[in-house]
Amino acid sequence: MSTKIGIYICECGPNIADNINIDEVIERISSSEDYKNKQLIIKPYKLLCSNEGKEYLEKEIKDNELTHLVIAACSPRDHEITFINICKKTKLNPYLYKMVNIREQCAWMIPDKKKATEKAISYIKAAINRVLHQSVLIEKQLDSNPNVLVIGGGITGMETALSLASKQRRVYLVEKNSILGGNAQSFKNLLPRQENNTDLVAKKITAIQENENIEVFTDSKLENAVGFFGNFEVTVKSTKKDQTANEFVVGAIVLATGFALMPTEKLKKHAYGKDDNVYTALEIEQMMKAKGKIVLKSGKEPKSVGLIHCVGREDRGYCSRICCNYMLKIISYLKDQSDTILIKDFYKDLCLPHKYDQEYFDTMAKKKVDFIRISDITTKKTHITYTEVNGSKKEADLDMIILAPAMVPAEGTEELAELLNVPLHPTKFFQEAHSQLNPIGTSLEGIYIAGGCHGPQGISESVLQAKAVQGKIVTQLIPGEKIIPEVKVSEIIPDFCMGCQTCREVCCYGAITFDPERGICVVNEAICRGCGNCVGSCPSGAIRAKHFTTIQIHQEMKEAIS
Amino acid sequence: MDQVLTIKKSTEAGLIDLLTYLLKNKKVSGVCSLRKTKKQGKFDYALITDPELLHDVVPLHPLMPVNAGKMLSNMIKMEMPVAAVIKPCELRSFIELVKRSQGKLENFLLISYTCGGALPLTATVENKVDTMLPDYGKTVAAGNEFEHIREICKACEYFVPFNADATVSLLGETGADSTCKIFLHSDKAKEILQGFEVEKTEDEFDRTGYDQIRERRKKYKEELFKQIKIQDTGLDGMIDVFGRCIGCHACSRVCPICYCVLCDFESSTYDYDNTIMEQELSRKGGLRLPSDTILYQIGRLSHMSFSCIGCGQCTEVCPSDIPVSVIFRKCGEKVAEIFEYIPGRDVNEQVPVTIFKEEEFEEIGEE
Amino acid sequence: MKKIQTKGVKISSNKDYRDSIVDILKKMLQSKSVDAVLVPMRVPAKDSYAWILVKDEKLLTEADPAAPIMPIQGARALSSFSRKGQSMLKIAALMRPCEIRATIELSKLNQVNLENVTLISYDCPGALPMEDYLNDPEKGEKKFNDILKKLDFQNKSIKPVCKICDQFSLLPVSDLHFTLFHDQNNTMFLIANSNRGNLVLKEIGMEASHTVSAWANGIQEIKDKRAAQKKGRFTQIKKMVEGFNSLLATFSDCIGCHNCQSACPICYCRQCYFDSESVTSGTDLTMLKAKKRGSISLPQNRIMFQVGRMSHMSLSCVSCGLCTDACPVSIPVAEIFSYVAHNTQKQFSYSSGENKGEPIPLKTFKLEEVKGIQELVEDAEA
Repeated sequence: MSTKIGIYICECGPNIADNINIDEVIERISSSEDYKNKQLIIKPYKLLCSNEGKEYLEKEIKDNELTHLVIAACSPRDHEITFINICKKTKLNPYLYKMVNIREQCAWMIPDKKKATEKAISYIKAAINRVLHQSVLIEKQLDSNPNVLVIGGGITGMETALSLASKQRRVYLVEKNSILGGNAQSFKNLLPRQENNTDLVAKKITAIQENENIEVFTDSKLENAVGFFGNFEVTVKSTKKDQTANEFVVGAIVLATGFALMPTEKLKKHAYGKDDNVYTALEIEQMMKAKGKIVLKSGKEPKSVGLIHCVGREDRGYCSRICCNYMLKIISYLKDQSDTILIKDFYKDLCLPHKYDQEYFDTMAKKKVDFIRISDITTKKTHITYTEVNGSKKEADLDMIILAPAMVPAEGTEELAELLNVPLHPTKFFQEAHSQLNPIGTSLEGIYIAGGCHGPQGISESVLQAKAVQGKIVTQLIPGEKIIPEVKVSEIIPDFCMGCQTCREVCCYGAITFDPERGICVVNEAICRGCGNCVGSCPSGAIRAKHFTTIQIHQEMKEAIS
Repeated sequence: MDQVLTIKKSTEAGLIDLLTYLLKNKKVSGVCSLRKTKKQGKFDYALITDPELLHDVVPLHPLMPVNAGKMLSNMIKMEMPVAAVIKPCELRSFIELVKRSQGKLENFLLISYTCGGALPLTATVENKVDTMLPDYGKTVAAGNEFEHIREICKACEYFVPFNADATVSLLGETGADSTCKIFLHSDKAKEILQGFEVEKTEDEFDRTGYDQIRERRKKYKEELFKQIKIQDTGLDGMIDVFGRCIGCHACSRVCPICYCVLCDFESSTYDYDNTIMEQELSRKGGLRLPSDTILYQIGRLSHMSFSCIGCGQCTEVCPSDIPVSVIFRKCGEKVAEIFEYIPGRDVNEQVPVTIFKEEEFEEIGEE
Repeated sequence: MKKIQTKGVKISSNKDYRDSIVDILKKMLQSKSVDAVLVPMRVPAKDSYAWILVKDEKLLTEADPAAPIMPIQGARALSSFSRKGQSMLKIAALMRPCEIRATIELSKLNQVNLENVTLISYDCPGALPMEDYLNDPEKGEKKFNDILKKLDFQNKSIKPVCKICDQFSLLPVSDLHFTLFHDQNNTMFLIANSNRGNLVLKEIGMEASHTVSAWANGIQEIKDKRAAQKKGRFTQIKKMVEGFNSLLATFSDCIGCHNCQSACPICYCRQCYFDSESVTSGTDLTMLKAKKRGSISLPQNRIMFQVGRMSHMSLSCVSCGLCTDACPVSIPVAEIFSYVAHNTQKQFSYSSGENKGEPIPLKTFKLEEVKGIQELVEDAEA
């Protein structure tokens, strides 16, 4: 079939037509020496994106049997897809089409009509040069699996599982411990209403166990996960002696592995031994849940307690957000126990972000608690040395010290990140795709994060994220629908690949694997996002970016230099 | 009948006038020729589109930094022809490439000349070109052999160009430094130079009028070929000759006929799995690494030697000083003879590898 | 930085060093410490050397452990065997220090599998230029023998890039090392420099019991001299390539034959990027460029290839000098690349071939390291 290029110039009402001499564009391009051996159909149209315009375009493509298409109109951001969809209704492959912006980039920004027209001509010619070197690319349709793997059986993981599970969508819940519940289990009361926690967590666990669409694996870890959004092949392995492995396919993976508290044994600023009356806040919660009261190692009740916020904050480099709140809760435990307990609360800043926090603080403040703002503090056993913000240095000897250590990602987070190729934030929590625009996604499509593993946060935020993940999955992974992976991916020319694996090492998506039999690297087109890192890294030029080959770009650019 | 242009200037100056005419009057889109670079004593090939820059060209210098045939084959798409001044062997190599769809004749106005031989690369490297040129000019004009040209050039009997649109007379042209004589052979050349106002006469270019020189060259060729003894001693002989080959493939790179983007012998086909190499090692007790240096030479001989036009670039670049051009010409000629084939003579003459029949050469197998 | 070994095995001095080394290699084969040995061997026509992987110890008598020339880089020879496949063959490779360093770099690029390889180095006085040797091989042999005999590690005849090499002796990555720089009694030592090396010594029934401090001091003296020469030579090289005009002038003879790339052990690409279609532009672009500038030099991109090759491989360049040997127009490629490589490696605090575990900065560099280069450029332009 001979080459026939259709070039359609949209007037866009007055937007383009007023400042670009379209007749001249048509005349100059039709008569150009560059295209004298090519069949060119070049026509103007009032408004291509209108219904009439779209019908017109479809007819033009079919009647003229166009082999290539160039649309000169507004920004591709507005309507590139509009015209791709028109192509899909015809025999013209949508990758043999190029859209050029002669509105924002020519008509709207160059006051001089002559200059604007020149630029438009140049742009259109560049597009024609490029489109002639573009290749047919065929989109594939893959079956997607609607099931979901949730890693982590704490509040976040359970909430996610319960929200997602349905007859059409099976959820696999993996928990490394023997029981579900995670960190939240340890708390006696939950803020802000000081509800008794036991019921809440227990209710969730029961709901999980009764849900026939959720399969739970306790004492288990993720062994392996290979694949891409819509099709992850996962292996879950038991950590018990039998080491049974279960293999299944899911369409999405949710990481809800939670947090731990920073270990305090080796802290230089807070030296203590296991016989001293120094506790972390979590240990106090566990003590409250088990014994119902706070006591010293001797069994007696303490008469004076020091609470120290921001432990490890300097080391870690971030605020752990929930500690000021739960320290208030611990104060309320102590004051309930005895209102004569001397309480000194040492803080650097007070973090009270929720709408109900200030009220809670005011209530606690009324209970005769010494809130001391400090710039520096060290403790040795239960002896405290501190500097207030006004500069005065003081000391105090108390019966008990309660530390609020920084929240850190749970053990095993780094290994999981490595296994799945999910990037970590410098603080070692999982890195979200975009803090504002995609806060629960990761750079890998189909892998989501929620809860304490995302960063320091409380239960309300964690549940919110669980719901957000549910929303994302429910709209993107629809049972029965197919997914179309990106088609503008990288490809490796086997003849030129020497298997040095530089590309594999710079790929952020894990889309390249090494085939030891052939001694070359191979791109998994379903995972590849077409970012082009590998293309730049290959010293031999053995990787090409489909639809963005050097030849295509050269041809487009030659207009700029001629 | 050829048209003869006579210009009352030195041959080089006259040719430059012709090229200037072509470029200034937009008869060609560019001129491809040797030229002086900014560095004294150094030269390169250039594609020139600005007529003002033609004063730097030295189209008839006996230099070959690269084989121009290879360069011309890279120029596929052209609106208007480019005038290229190249040696007879470069022109022959271009014809060989055209036969293999690696070049387009219509893209060029091919100007060649009767060639007295090319200097080795070392002449440029050692900055000796300018000092050698006067002697070279005189010797060639007298029809004698300049002692410092490439060995393979001394053995070349095809110094009169085939298929040129125009031929500049140099060899044996005693008045070359005061009169420029250019023969226009093709209609293309005659038409393009219609407006070039110089003395024009009709005459036939006498290809046979160089028999003495031809005999001298043939004799030298025989002597040169005698030094290579492969045919008598088989594989042992090959190892003697190619033993110091380091497998750099420079010969193939600079060879105009070797046009493959990826040489078969560099492809993964010859990347053996080391378990296979281990078997070979056990069999022989020792294994040369990297392997297949001789195989590569045999392969290249069988792939292209019958098209070898003896430009000598391969010998120039060989880091091991192997006389590749002599070996390839010797082997190639023997094969070409059987087909009565002369590489580069006729663009319609088919390459032997495409025309031999199944039943031919059975006697070779029997030996 | 690995501690320098202080003890070695004393090798008898009444034999020629070549025979002594071959004896040890034979022992390694006999004791099955290794299955095969990679050594240089003179070709039948006696005009060059080839790398032979030897399994049959009878062939070892032909071996020449320290060849006067380096026609093929040892790393390239080793890579041609160990690059592809799962062979478990245990190989001992007897190579020059620069060949060993190139091997380490190639292993980082997955072109050599070092799992079953024992790297044996020796004190290298330098190699003769290929061109000089080929003119008169017998003379070359004699010259090199003299150099070794007289311990003339500063001889004028060795390659220019060897004259400024200060990594010509025991390497941190050597498993074993022969001290060719023998003492006045002709005593040579075999030093084990790793667990692997120690294991081999054990397997061949040898023990490192002699101190080698005298040898170490002698080597250090030469290193210091070489380092000083390097500094001086680099100041000269800098002038040859600083600024575009100097660069063009220095490479004016380049014909784009890519011999330097073929000979270079680090250049492993099957098709050089500068030969790929990304760079070899279509004719329409050639004509366009010619029209814009009035003329363009053919073949195109010769300087781009040189600078591009520098940027692709200078982080791994081991200054072995095969590029200069291969260049048909006598451009001092090796010294130029050695100078550039010295500076690029310094920028990333990286030393090629020194540490098996250190990845090449190409894949792991941080933005802050590159910012330093910005200042370098500004300094140069000032």
